[in-house]
Amino acid sequence: MEVKFESVEGRSLQYYLLLLVLALMAAAGAAVTWWASISGLWITGMTNRIPWGFQIVMAVYYIGFSEGCLVVAGLYGVFGKREYKPFVRIAVYLAMLFLIAGLLSIFTDQGRMDRVFVEPFIHFNLQSMFSINPILYLGHIVICLIFLGALFKEKEGFTRVIATLAFAWAFCVHSGTGAIFGYGARELYESPMLPATFVAAAMASGIALMIVVIVSLFKITKRQVDDGLILWLGKLMAVTITVVVYFVFVENAYRAYIVELREAAHYYLFGGFHSILFWFGLVLCGMILPMLIIFNRKTGHSVRWVIIASVLVLFGVLCERYVIVLPGLTHPPDLFPGMEITTVPGIKVDDGVVSYSISFVEVVQALGVVGVIGFLFVFGLKVLKLLPNEARVLDHHTPAS
Amino acid sequence: MNRREFLEAGGGILFAGVSCAYAGHLLTSYATKTTGEDSPAFGKKMGMVIDVNKCRKGCTECLKACKAENNIAQPGDSRWDVHWIRKVTLKDKNNTNVPEKPVVLLCNHCDKPPCAQVCPVQATFKRPDGIVIVDYHRCIGCRYCVIACPYNARYFNFKEAEVWSNKGYPRRTHGVAEACNLCAHRLEIGDVPACVVACQNIGAGAITVGDMNDPESDISKLIANNSTKRIRMDLGTEPKVHYIGL
Amino acid sequence: MFKKLQQYDKGTRYVALVVLVILIPLAYSIVKPIFAHNDPITEVFLEKPDPSHTSCVRDTTYMRLHHWELLTKIREEVVRYGNRTIEIRDGKKEAIGLNDCRNCHTSRERFCDRCHNAVNLYPECWGCHYYP
Repeated sequence: MEVKFESVEGRSLQYYLLLLVLALMAAAGAAVTWWASISGLWITGMTNRIPWGFQIVMAVYYIGFSEGCLVVAGLYGVFGKREYKPFVRIAVYLAMLFLIAGLLSIFTDQGRMDRVFVEPFIHFNLQSMFSINPILYLGHIVICLIFLGALFKEKEGFTRVIATLAFAWAFCVHSGTGAIFGYGARELYESPMLPATFVAAAMASGIALMIVVIVSLFKITKRQVDDGLILWLGKLMAVTITVVVYFVFVENAYRAYIVELREAAHYYLFGGFHSILFWFGLVLCGMILPMLIIFNRKTGHSVRWVIIASVLVLFGVLCERYVIVLPGLTHPPDLFPGMEITTVPGIKVDDGVVSYSISFVEVVQALGVVGVIGFLFVFGLKVLKLLPNEARVLDHHTPAS
Repeated sequence: MNRREFLEAGGGILFAGVSCAYAGHLLTSYATKTTGEDSPAFGKKMGMVIDVNKCRKGCTECLKACKAENNIAQPGDSRWDVHWIRKVTLKDKNNTNVPEKPVVLLCNHCDKPPCAQVCPVQATFKRPDGIVIVDYHRCIGCRYCVIACPYNARYFNFKEAEVWSNKGYPRRTHGVAEACNLCAHRLEIGDVPACVVACQNIGAGAITVGDMNDPESDISKLIANNSTKRIRMDLGTEPKVHYIGL
Repeated sequence: MFKKLQQYDKGTRYVALVVLVILIPLAYSIVKPIFAHNDPITEVFLEKPDPSHTSCVRDTTYMRLHHWELLTKIREEVVRYGNRTIEIRDGKKEAIGLNDCRNCHTSRERFCDRCHNAVNLYPECWGCHYYP
């Protein structure tokens, strides 16, 4: 049976209200960003000890989603699972949007936003991950656009080629994003495992997002989706979570084992707010509970429980992004090993552990980015033929069996 | 023309326009390209020696001189204050009988600077004479260099400088990163950095700046005659700020 | 044009709107300098330096059109190579920079800004450099 794609009607009051709310969010974010560009980035609550804040956390979080979305697209495009064709257009469109969201987050976080579109493209520095990544990101957006075009034209052979390219490119993109931190100089950043952890967590979060988006979208637009498809995606998500568990374990075991890093590892695991996020957010909500839910025979076969697991994974991966970025900054670099440092009063840079809290401005900026891409997504549903008429398991057997 | 063709044409026009704009920019930047081939900076290797034994406890003259000379942003809130040079006191954790040492810390002008490696626009770079300096005309304010510096020596202008004490030297707007530039503008006209002058004025003379490639310079003799130490040599950044008696 | 657009479905019209919104500022920014060049610059009153200063580093026409190239060249040489003696006048090396402009052109407001305002160009030199 051939899948037919269509656009939503989009004339109801709720639709326009949703668009309005998203536009207002975007406007609020833009206003705050404008304020920051005029008066300086101090309004975001970042300091010279913590130069990267919540915006960078959200940027890597958004960029991570696009990997998982492309995994869902790749199920059809690369691995030839034809029953996932109904989701492929939404997946590629979302993958593109979330990369745009990540770029927006990074863009609004720069000190001189007026130069961002000029200088990095004139003065390349190929030794810097920050110079390599824009090439990867922009290439990813272009590939997603071509992918979408191929899907709209229903070109089977070309779709397969471009899907494979997009899948491989996404690996590079997300390894590169992880490498920004993994190849950094801070004690808690430096880890060759980080790009790999990043890719695995990106897959888990992206698949979780796809599950939530697909189920809610099909429910709102009163379309039929077979439970088997969602359940199998849930299983795939659980498998990627096991990989995340393994990588996170190896990374922390390494830090705890090496004598020089033991103090830093102790700070990471038992050192304050981020440790709560690590244990409660990442380990409990992001790993243990979803795996219990999905591998349990009873709850694993219920779409409702799989959605709960997906939401938990979304929260857990957000915590994972937070504990990648922030503890490495709040933990001081050891300038003089074996010495105790006291500073001149008034100079805060050499203080030991410093605290960081997410400020209101940063939350508004993050919501603004959500508003922008949410607007683009909801509007795209009306303009482009993204939604299938229905999603069915082919040949009447679940692909999981 | 249907929607597909329209999209293709629109995308093509956009792509062509953007690439033309960038090509034009690249060409103009090529037209004004400089090589600096006859710069006096080539062949030099500027460095600093700090004698910890001569440094006085509680004295912050070099810090004040640096701030006045380089128009450093001091918004009055210690979270966003910029310190090109700062002072700490060191106490040995294992042996409490060792007296406390006052140490001034600044950009180490590493031979292999991690900040210059990570800069996406080559705004932070190592000059031919080894000074690690920021091109504020180019910096986009991504703060990757602040992250990458293992010495906490790089700062970001979260707030703009309000006082403009030295009109002969530019200040910085908010949104660019900066660090000590070894008073390059003073070295170029044959002067010595402001912190060195301030330290000589109070009679301590703990800081020396000079060309380490020149065997006759004060700094080369100081390094040759004393056992010097550099901070965190294990990181492989090869700093050029040497400490005597650390 | 709008009548022709009505033949397409709503999607095309939305996409056209978006493309126009992007293209109009782009086109404006490309076209603006062409018209700006035809503006009567000569009618803008620029404060000339007093008669004791006979000439600038290059002739007036060159300075009007290409002074930014000289300034960029000086900037690159000084900032990136630490080279302060630069060949600006033909065959003569001298230590010269932005600060030396104000020896003759004493007022930024009555010299730089008037012309830049007239041609709608706002370089950001004075955020950092001092020029009374």
